[in-house]
Amino acid sequence: MEGESVKLLAAAFAMGVGTFGPGIGIGLLGWGAMNALGRNPEARGPIMTNMILAIAFAEAIAIYALIVAILLIFVA
Amino acid sequence: MAKKKVLGCSLNLIIILAVVFLALIVISFIGGSVGALITGGEPLSIFAVHPPHPQLPAEHPFPNLPITNTMITAWISILVLFGIFFAATRKMRLVPRGLQNLVEFIYETAAKFIEDPAGKKWGRIFLPVCFTIFLFVLANAWINLLPGFETIKMNGEPLLRNANTDINVPLMLAVISFISVEYWGFKAKKARYLETFFNFRPLGLGFKQLFTGKIKAGFGGIFNGIILVVAGILEILSHFIRMVSFTFRLFGNMTAGAILSLIMIFLVPFVVPAIFYGLEAFFGFVQAMIFGGLTLGFACAAVMAEE
Repeated sequence: MEGESVKLLAAAFAMGVGTFGPGIGIGLLGWGAMNALGRNPEARGPIMTNMILAIAFAEAIAIYALIVAILLIFVA
Repeated sequence: MAKKKVLGCSLNLIIILAVVFLALIVISFIGGSVGALITGGEPLSIFAVHPPHPQLPAEHPFPNLPITNTMITAWISILVLFGIFFAATRKMRLVPRGLQNLVEFIYETAAKFIEDPAGKKWGRIFLPVCFTIFLFVLANAWINLLPGFETIKMNGEPLLRNANTDINVPLMLAVISFISVEYWGFKAKKARYLETFFNFRPLGLGFKQLFTGKIKAGFGGIFNGIILVVAGILEILSHFIRMVSFTFRLFGNMTAGAILSLIMIFLVPFVVPAIFYGLEAFFGFVQAMIFGGLTLGFACAAVMAEE
């Protein structure tokens, strides 16, 4: 394989594998928040805020993979 | 017959708007650059958007000056923040109105957010750093959303660019947050703060017990001590990794947001980018809150008395 195609493959692989874990994590967070919401609908505000915060943390890991992919395509 | 109302408009208007938006999306997608690739023709001139060329290092709009465009934006956001807070605190009234009311609301919300986990005493000390980081990141993120912001060109380079997409700005904020947290840790616990990182006392105690004849307790103590020493090394590592993750979280989110909007404008020039614009505004706020909130959380962990 040529260098350029390896680069593209590597970037695609980084995104594909790197978003796998955060996807599961965000799903778990949503699951937990929905459970909490079902049990305690009055606490909607705090649950939403904390869920969004936690989702942003999980998403940050996918963002790291994205940075690696961007670096692979545009810089490496 | 009473007309049904949806979102404050009559149903007919909503349907017409939806049709217009859908038509705009479809037409701009087919007429745009991607549609031209599929149909094999030229893109219509009003829909034609150049494919995005993300550039990670900041550009130099002035060839002879070591001033990058992200620096100029950072100065502008500092000036904007300064202006808002200066204007709000002139002619202060006991019963706030207008701008003063808004600024007081923001400040009080932040103070409550910080004093909740940190307590009254430490909250007062944490507030300046955490709140300033929050405001700076937020101002940088939102100033970038002004229409036409990155289109001003100077010597072929954009004159202004979101300061958060330059890795130096998040890195600087992360270093400030790191130094503040360590300083507060030392201030709270004095030299005992070092025990978080270098905890040799249980190990020494274990050896002492071993040499004074208590073999069984000694080995247990040594084992425990080694674990604590390793935990201290991990703690040092985690404090530095924290900085790296701070940097890349903000930098990555902002860069990814910018590239995502560019790609969306490239794919579907009309209507759809507006959604991502709103998403950008939201994520700018969330990232600012995370940067300030995490600094607060680490600071609380550093000053908390250990049992």
